[in-house]
Amino acid sequence: MFNVLTTSRGAAPARRRTTRHDLVWAMLFLAPAAIALCVLRLLPTISAVASSLYKSFPGGIVTPTFAGAGNYLSLFGDPQFLGTISRTILFNLVINPLQIGIALLIAALLVRRVHFAGLWRTLIFIPITVPVVGSCVAWGAALNPQGPINALLSAVGGTPQPFFNSPSQALASIIVVASWIGIGYWMLFLISGLEAIPEEIYEAARLDRSGPIRTFFFITVPLLRRPLLFVLVADTVANFVLFVPVQLLTQGGPQHSTNLLMYDAYETTYTFGSVNTGAAEIVVLTTIMLAFVLLQFRLLREPK
Amino acid sequence: MKEENMRKHLRYIAVAVSAAAAIGLAGCSTGPSSPDSGNALSLPVKDPSATITVMSIDSLGDPNHDDKVVAAFEKAHPSIKVKWQTIPFNSLTSVEDTNISNKQGTPDVYWADQPRISALAARGEAEDLTSVFSKYKSSFDASPYESGIYNGKLWALPIENSTQLLYYNKDLLKRAGITDPSPDVDRRMTWEELGDLALKAKQAGAVNGLSFGQANTYYQLEPLPVSLGGSVGANGKGNLTPDIDSAAWIKAFQWYGKVYASGAAAKGQTYSTTDPDFLAGKTAFEVQGPWLLPQLPSSGVNWGVAPMPKFAGGKAVTPDGSWSLAINPFSKQKAASAIFLKWMAIDEGSGYIKYSPVTSLAASPTGKKIYFQNDVFATPEGRNAEAIIEHETAKTAVNRVGTVGYIEFETIVGKAFSDIQNGADVESTLKQASADLTVAWAKYKS
Amino acid sequence: MTTARAFSATRRSVGRTVLSAIIGALFIVPASWILLDSFRPNQEVLSSLTPLSWDLIIPSHLTLENYIDLLFQQGFGQSLLNSLIVCIASVVVGLAISSMAAYALAVLDFRGRGLVFAIIVISFMVPFEAIAIPLSQLFTTWGLANTLIGLILPGIGNGLAVFNLRQHFLGIPSSYREAAMLDGASEPRILFALYLRMSGSAITNSGLLIFLGQWTAFLWPLILISNSSEQLAPVSLANTFGEHGANYGENFAGAVLLALIPATTIFVLQRFFGRLSIASGEK
Repeated sequence: MFNVLTTSRGAAPARRRTTRHDLVWAMLFLAPAAIALCVLRLLPTISAVASSLYKSFPGGIVTPTFAGAGNYLSLFGDPQFLGTISRTILFNLVINPLQIGIALLIAALLVRRVHFAGLWRTLIFIPITVPVVGSCVAWGAALNPQGPINALLSAVGGTPQPFFNSPSQALASIIVVASWIGIGYWMLFLISGLEAIPEEIYEAARLDRSGPIRTFFFITVPLLRRPLLFVLVADTVANFVLFVPVQLLTQGGPQHSTNLLMYDAYETTYTFGSVNTGAAEIVVLTTIMLAFVLLQFRLLREPK
Repeated sequence: MKEENMRKHLRYIAVAVSAAAAIGLAGCSTGPSSPDSGNALSLPVKDPSATITVMSIDSLGDPNHDDKVVAAFEKAHPSIKVKWQTIPFNSLTSVEDTNISNKQGTPDVYWADQPRISALAARGEAEDLTSVFSKYKSSFDASPYESGIYNGKLWALPIENSTQLLYYNKDLLKRAGITDPSPDVDRRMTWEELGDLALKAKQAGAVNGLSFGQANTYYQLEPLPVSLGGSVGANGKGNLTPDIDSAAWIKAFQWYGKVYASGAAAKGQTYSTTDPDFLAGKTAFEVQGPWLLPQLPSSGVNWGVAPMPKFAGGKAVTPDGSWSLAINPFSKQKAASAIFLKWMAIDEGSGYIKYSPVTSLAASPTGKKIYFQNDVFATPEGRNAEAIIEHETAKTAVNRVGTVGYIEFETIVGKAFSDIQNGADVESTLKQASADLTVAWAKYKS
Repeated sequence: MTTARAFSATRRSVGRTVLSAIIGALFIVPASWILLDSFRPNQEVLSSLTPLSWDLIIPSHLTLENYIDLLFQQGFGQSLLNSLIVCIASVVVGLAISSMAAYALAVLDFRGRGLVFAIIVISFMVPFEAIAIPLSQLFTTWGLANTLIGLILPGIGNGLAVFNLRQHFLGIPSSYREAAMLDGASEPRILFALYLRMSGSAITNSGLLIFLGQWTAFLWPLILISNSSEQLAPVSLANTFGEHGANYGENFAGAVLLALIPATTIFVLQRFFGRLSIASGEK
């Protein structure tokens, strides 16, 4: 990275120019992003964190009073909120590896040695193009206890299931809907990553008499480190802020079983108008999410 | 060399962050911090020249056609122009909150859900209408007018009201050997009877024995516990102490849970499927508001109406309440807004009711006269409906709980009803909801 | 490269194709149901749901009434146009900003580079919903409420796009840049004429990220826009579910219309995925 200065007179000035040159260009190139960052993220974030330190009457017109850590103390003293946190963490421990794992398997299947690969990829990708409102309305109708899926189950001899109406099945049903929507998206990124792996590597593995499973886990996956990390992180962020399916299909129920942190924060902020408490919940949510993401960076980082 | 660069970087970042913070704090405090006192509420003799923005759940085109209402108003008051904003029902509260608290004065007038008016007033989101409009009290029905009162002042004017009826499908009842319920308000069915009859109808082949038109809403289900002598859901100072796990509440909702457990009523129905099912002839009994009436003639269903049931030994209770209009305290066109309110709710018997092609139950006697001129009330069953509606709105209507914490109440209690419908134990669900409500209301008590 | 492709082509398996077809079907069936039902009157959509019969997949007749009503009576056409304008503008500006930042963070060399990268990516990962309200209040004060610009701005900063582009740029050997600099090219020229040309898939992916993010945005347009003439399509679509009823047919019609743009874009760009490989250029 940073070259050591040599004793040669001719070389030293050139390198110093290069360093300053890089720095100046870097600042120019980074300026638009930095400004966007300040205005679109920093400013409102400071405002949101500040807001979490105040208490106010819902609605935001009556002047707020400073409360320090008061909102956080009430939140962590509420057993329902603690339940929501643990539920959210559990949800993410399950859904992220699940979705990425399935996306990876499908990507591996479709990346070669399949007729009409482009067609299958498109079919699997289509769900992400459907607006979430439409997907949720459709799945809500399909998984209705009196709807077509249960009717099909009965027709083949199974028992109809309560799906969104049961505390034990509702969250799993949400996972199904979210996965149907999102897997195609991640699959595409993984396909690009897989196709960037040169054919020669696989030939070498074949010559080494390495079987397909062994090749996959010990050669392909490590070479996918960069796209895999990207996809895992992006999916984690998306699932931590997942709330439209919850809002449209279960509203956090039945019996709080689908009450995830993002939905809870939304309800607190927008339905109940308790902007400060909602801001505190978002701060908690973001912290937990960052912890997850940092963990993933650690686990998947390049070996030195 | 390296440390110099690092320090330079940090300096740039620090400057950027403090600049951002400064702009942010400045941005937060811009705008008038108190309502514009120079723009006082009044009903001037001469119309001002103004454009007002109205925020509503009604749309100008299909299906509400409020464009006709706007056209009529602008004809009556040519110097005032109306800009209309339609917001989906589910987001109305939050959009209103955000817009009003911006203090920029838009919208000038907005649709306010009657039970939420206390909460709106307490948050400072409604203009005090007492000085200008309290003298019109007698032009309105008592119950909807009362919903606009908080702390002794008037904050909104009702333009719509509602009640509930028991609709039934005569063919499905005949198939099950059930005699048509009487339309006489003094001979109404009991909920217990209805549960049995609905099950019978279902067993005779109806897809749904019974459905509640607005699944699991406090609005429709409030009469159940009140009929048994329970409260509307809260008491104490400012109605901020939950009262949803009393004996009356538990008994009422045990009945409710049983009706679903027995299969008489179908789980998983939503407000978007209940009416279409009845109109398609699949439902034997439906509890629903008068807005179903205009859709019945063209549906082909052989329909009848009866009054909403009560519990055996209990009193007859019906829900009521619908939309009112309120004025944004930061509005810059308060006089024009007041003129609009008056025209919508009072002038010509109620401009809104008179010119809206989609008839809604009015909140005033004069408005109701116009409402009952609708064709559907000319049929025999329609005349039954008219008599029932008149009686219920005057005698049995009980307003939903008036509390600044109404929104939390409706949300939490609605979820409890949903859980009970799905088979959860009634007593523990209501006790848990009561605990949730106490936590949610803590902020109003400090 | 050609030899390698031909080699794998001869070994395409029927078994894997069948498996792919099954998986493809699983994903496409619900979407095709939405498509089918968008051409049926709303009453029929509801009546076909229960009890189960061939009615579910065989309509009595096909009709365009949902589309016509939605586009011309409900003002959905205007909303679609607004969405298109906002998305395209966001992608153009967003890609420019992200690629410049990614270039600085991957190619240029300066102390604290890793820290700046971390800051940029992490800050844009703050969930948008978290800062939507304070941001909307700021925007209103600056006169950006009910404007398309107000809708475009939050979309141009995308940490994941920067992340993605940087990852890609890191994989491009520095020999290219050194050669170009010897030829006297300036940094902007290297970025725009050289690096971007070699980053087709990364640009497409990042552009997609930005586009889809804006195309599906719901919360932001909901709280920023109250004039129906500036509203975006997903929020307009929610108007099909009113207080006293819901129109599945129109909701699905709107869903199909909204799905068309990203679907065709993907289909067209399919060919660019994975095509440009670094390995092919090195020799």
